[in-house]
Amino acid sequence: MGILLATSPLLIVALGALLVMLVEAFAPKLQRGELAWATAVTLVGGALASASVWMVGTVGIPGAEALAPYLLTDRFALFFDFTICVGAALAALLAGGYLPEHGIERGEFYVLLLWSTLGAMMLAGAGDLLSLFIGLETLSLGVYAMTAFRRASPRSTEAAMKYFLLGSFAAALLLYGGALLYGATGHTDLAGIGQRIAEGTASPVLLLVATALIVAGLAFKVSAVPFHAWTPDAYEGAPTPATAFMAVVVKSAAFAMMLRVLTVALGAKATSSWGAGWSTVLAPIAVATMTYANLVAGRQSSVKRMLAYSSIAHAGYVLVGVAATVRSSGAEAQAAVLFYLLAYTVSTAGAFGALVLAGSRGAESVSYEDLAGLGRRHPAVALPFALFLFSLAGVPPTAGFFGKFYLFRAAMYAEGSFRWLVVIALLNSVVGAYYYLRVLVFMYMREPAPGAPIAKPMKSAYVTAALVACALLVLALGLAPGASLDLALLAPARG
Amino acid sequence: MIPLEHYLYVAGALFAIGTLGFVVRRNLLVQLMSLELLLNAVNLTLVAFNRQHQDDHTGQLFAFFVIAVAAAEAAVGLAIVLALYRLRRSVRSDEATLLKN
Repeated sequence: MGILLATSPLLIVALGALLVMLVEAFAPKLQRGELAWATAVTLVGGALASASVWMVGTVGIPGAEALAPYLLTDRFALFFDFTICVGAALAALLAGGYLPEHGIERGEFYVLLLWSTLGAMMLAGAGDLLSLFIGLETLSLGVYAMTAFRRASPRSTEAAMKYFLLGSFAAALLLYGGALLYGATGHTDLAGIGQRIAEGTASPVLLLVATALIVAGLAFKVSAVPFHAWTPDAYEGAPTPATAFMAVVVKSAAFAMMLRVLTVALGAKATSSWGAGWSTVLAPIAVATMTYANLVAGRQSSVKRMLAYSSIAHAGYVLVGVAATVRSSGAEAQAAVLFYLLAYTVSTAGAFGALVLAGSRGAESVSYEDLAGLGRRHPAVALPFALFLFSLAGVPPTAGFFGKFYLFRAAMYAEGSFRWLVVIALLNSVVGAYYYLRVLVFMYMREPAPGAPIAKPMKSAYVTAALVACALLVLALGLAPGASLDLALLAPARG
Repeated sequence: MIPLEHYLYVAGALFAIGTLGFVVRRNLLVQLMSLELLLNAVNLTLVAFNRQHQDDHTGQLFAFFVIAVAAAEAAVGLAIVLALYRLRRSVRSDEATLLKN
């Protein structure tokens, strides 16, 4: 009984997915829009369930660890379950407005979205390489299909093809690394692997190759430079709600997996110290990721593609925090990463939502030019867009500001030489402000060229609801960030 | 009995061939086949290591899961290739150049 309660977030999402699937198959006449509500309600239910299990505390539930190590129900998993469910619910609401507007309304999208979310939640709770792999593939296979959802569009299909090829390749790298770890330690559960490595009995050559393969595979999944090549194409070609899902849910789940694998399985000195382990590799990757993404993002003419590069840049900031978790004050850095991902989820989902709302059938808003004069023509669309861009740029009093503040503070006070990393990250935030503010310049200070096609905002209760929710969360996290950070501090990754 | 190392060398070679095929070839079907090769290299590694760690059958069990997931992955991959072929009459990945900086 305890295990049913402890895994109720996942069970709710799975039941909801089954229901939506059945309704879609047997009641095709039902309005598709109702599926969007059903999906969003299911996901909000999942988020509420993870919050309630958190309050009870899994320690207080007998039998909660019955599925360990395959599925852990610790607070780390619950925090990510909450973030993932919120992000997925926002993406579902965006889909409820976007799909009918652009004539690709089919119920399968919601089913794929729900099952992918379940995969993401499995990934956050996986304490064994086996369930980690299953969760990763459950997540990825659904997202590949969501990317290709606009079947008649060559761009959507091409995006899916690129995403599929590189995503599967990354999974294979990760899996080979996992197989070598199993060979070196005789364990597939992360805690067992970590223990064996700490004992020093594992073959160093196998460990080195395995760590390299796993770090490369993880870097692919969080789209860190030099493994980012698929990201802009996949984000640009996918239908915008699928892009939002990739940017928030897939990224959060990938970072959950990264934190758990790196700290629990590869957290021992032999695989994590400077000079020998992953933290040496991760710091340069973080620098390359944020610098490259920020420089390239400024040169884009498509806002959607700019947001794709922006998500790569944010992955770079988070990697600074991940690299700092290896220090003795790592708990604080890890909590900052968790908070950052929550803040990033609501800001990014909001930005993509505003982009959805600013366009309509045949006049989708994609480029900067499309948005020219939007602030005067449609202030109700431009204002939330501006708020989310401020949050992404890290302007107080928004969620993004405190995300960056906590993250950089934790990295700053981590012992050892992380100061230079923080300085580079700060400089990068300044560069990043340029391309976010450029959108504002186009919205408020430019007028569309005469005769140029302009984006006409659509009307949708779903998208409006998503934007209102995002705006409230962005402001709430920005005005009272301490509460969520305290919660994040209670959620360390364990094996 | 064939020593463990030999299996690992074969698996490593398979993985290298798969990686090479994936990176060098531009035919999507060949790239999909290379992906299968990568996963089979992993399977061989897992089963070979299971002989070293004989207290349980984790490695063999893992290999079964990998096989099942590889089948699901191939289904999604082929569906995407098919959709691309319908639109462009080509299965070459270097001809997909609509999305660029």
